[in-house]
Amino acid sequence: MIKKKCIAMLLAGGKGSRLHSLTKDLAKPAVPFGGKYRIIDFTLSNCTNSGIDTVGVLTQYQPLVLNSYIGIGSAWDLDRINGGVTVLPPYTASSEVKWYTGTASAVYQNLNYLEQYNPEYVLILSGDHIYKMNYEEMLEYHIKKGADATISVIEVPWDEASRFGIMNTNEEMGVTEFVEKPDEPISNLASMGIYIFKWTILREYLLEDAENPKSSHDFGKDIIPKLLHDEKKLFAYPFKGYWKDVGTVKSLWEANMDLLDENCELDLFDYSWRIYSVNPNQRPQYISSEAEVTESLVNEGCTIEGFVNKSVLFQGVTVKKGAMIRESVIMPDAIIGENVLIEKAIVPSHLTIPDNTVIKCDPGQDEIVLVTEEMLAKRV
Amino acid sequence: MNKKLLGVIDATTNYDHLMELTAHRSLAAVPFAGRYRLIDFVLSSMVNSGIKSVALFPKYQYRSLLDHLESGKNWNLSRKKDGLFFFPTPHLDVPGIENGSFTHFAANIDYFNKSTQKYAIIANCFTIFNMDFQPVLDRHLAMGCDITEICQNGHSLDMYLIKTSLLIELIETREQTGYTCMKDVVKGKQPLTHCHYEYTGYISTIDSIESFYVESMKLLNPSEWNKLFIDHQPIYTKVKDEPPTRYLKSSSIKHAMVANGCIIDGTIENSIISRGVRIGKGAVIKNSIIMQKCTIGDNCIIDSAILDKDVKIEKGTVMKGTSQIPLVIRKGTVQGELIS
Repeated sequence: MIKKKCIAMLLAGGKGSRLHSLTKDLAKPAVPFGGKYRIIDFTLSNCTNSGIDTVGVLTQYQPLVLNSYIGIGSAWDLDRINGGVTVLPPYTASSEVKWYTGTASAVYQNLNYLEQYNPEYVLILSGDHIYKMNYEEMLEYHIKKGADATISVIEVPWDEASRFGIMNTNEEMGVTEFVEKPDEPISNLASMGIYIFKWTILREYLLEDAENPKSSHDFGKDIIPKLLHDEKKLFAYPFKGYWKDVGTVKSLWEANMDLLDENCELDLFDYSWRIYSVNPNQRPQYISSEAEVTESLVNEGCTIEGFVNKSVLFQGVTVKKGAMIRESVIMPDAIIGENVLIEKAIVPSHLTIPDNTVIKCDPGQDEIVLVTEEMLAKRV
Repeated sequence: MNKKLLGVIDATTNYDHLMELTAHRSLAAVPFAGRYRLIDFVLSSMVNSGIKSVALFPKYQYRSLLDHLESGKNWNLSRKKDGLFFFPTPHLDVPGIENGSFTHFAANIDYFNKSTQKYAIIANCFTIFNMDFQPVLDRHLAMGCDITEICQNGHSLDMYLIKTSLLIELIETREQTGYTCMKDVVKGKQPLTHCHYEYTGYISTIDSIESFYVESMKLLNPSEWNKLFIDHQPIYTKVKDEPPTRYLKSSSIKHAMVANGCIIDGTIENSIISRGVRIGKGAVIKNSIIMQKCTIGDNCIIDSAILDKDVKIEKGTVMKGTSQIPLVIRKGTVQGELIS
């Protein structure tokens, strides 16, 4: 193997249980997003756009769709002779089955993968977030600061800071303290779960952590506090731009709606930083004479005969005559029957909504409806 | 029994009547239906019929064609064994062979000799269809034919199925027989069993600007596009990684086919919009074909026009053709207010 300067480990084993039925048979990074993409497309595209050509993808929960989606990485130009994408599932070793019990444990179990490339730096990523980021700039910052570890942070509104892992920093952005979900935050810099480590340091700490029976083997809870305790050089890298954790039905819906805002910082049409995805090979969308489509994102393969406003329609969606869709996300190949009304909802892939169905939240409530087969069965 | 098919695409055809669209590109590379090029239909049909080895014989301005096809990966034809082969003709300046494919095939006879596929489909690049060739072969064998000519309503589609060894023989004896191409063979006097196969699916033949326009517009009819775009026989094309199309506040769109990557804030009626097009606020597009990456400024009115790739229409411009003679705007040009 040719030695690499920096390689990425992408944590994609998350269950995403707050996405309910959307992640019943699907790992969270494989959840559809933005009319065309899956959540992991953003991180993989960031890697390829940042010049990082070696990415280990750690999968565990419901990996079938995710694994076949990633394939050999050609969609993201990550099918490389040396490096490229490698899917790293848990495996059985001589004595036991080694499930990934935490984020650090997942990387620890794959130290042999990292050792093959013997990199100088390791970038730890998560496949759960929607953002565009140049990791190369973060690496330059890490090198310039002479850091042992660098943690990417984003400013969050002060009243929300107690929901995040917060970094307290000095004037030089050196991390002085890391507090998980503080009651009274003294900083509003939230960790984005993106780390760059010196490989030698990461290796040492992962080996040590694996031996510690009290550890939960998590980067945020165990590795970072231990580095701080040992007075290693930790820096916060301030990220500016759009970043969203789409861990709940509401935040997934919100992030989709954000794309419809013309002034959204996350610009899918920016050709200098493309978001790549696996091409579904569909015909152009067809909009009939009866249809009306405004303020929406619509993918290829759709057939629209109804009204669509402020919505995101994935490939292969059919909207029949008289149907009205407002502020909703309709996932691939869903069929919306005649005269259906859908408001503020997410319709999962392949679901058929029978004619004349009305789907909207109860008056006075602010919830987003996640449509399920059970829900439709009850109505009939 | 060896029932494998070889795919042969004759992309040497060029029509003067299509000059405005083929000045910079081979006929096979003419954009069609918003996100495809003519070659995609024949190539996808071959791939979906299980054909693993395809030979393409291009002529005239084939840069854009090679750029489109690359290694053949998007058609699943970038393979270790077989795959997509390009044989640009060495006879570019020889007069009198424009319609004679055999001369081009002869220059690359090694390909035919080396191929293990027992039968060959010879197709052209100006017909739009979505066909499974296996039933053609089945019938060819059942009837004991030497040549099967594919037809619709009795009209030849200029596509033939023939045993590869017979094709090689016809190529090698072309000087004695005087046959320059398959069309000559089926019209000739040689004692060959000549059968017809009636194809009932979607067909468009592109040989002029008028037919290009009419056949494109025909696709706006759902009963027509449903015949061309069949779920289990997808039409493959070059991947562009365009985002979904975005419709803005004042967009109004009726009876249209739209590809990905567009941003639309105007009115579209009865039109085909290709990938990456921008349509400004208040602009009205009617009865038109707008090709890839065109930009149409605010308040333009465009009726019965074909805009080739990368055309920029400045705001407020009015352009009208007629349904008989659509206005054609050449690739990469800028059109201002003064032209009408």
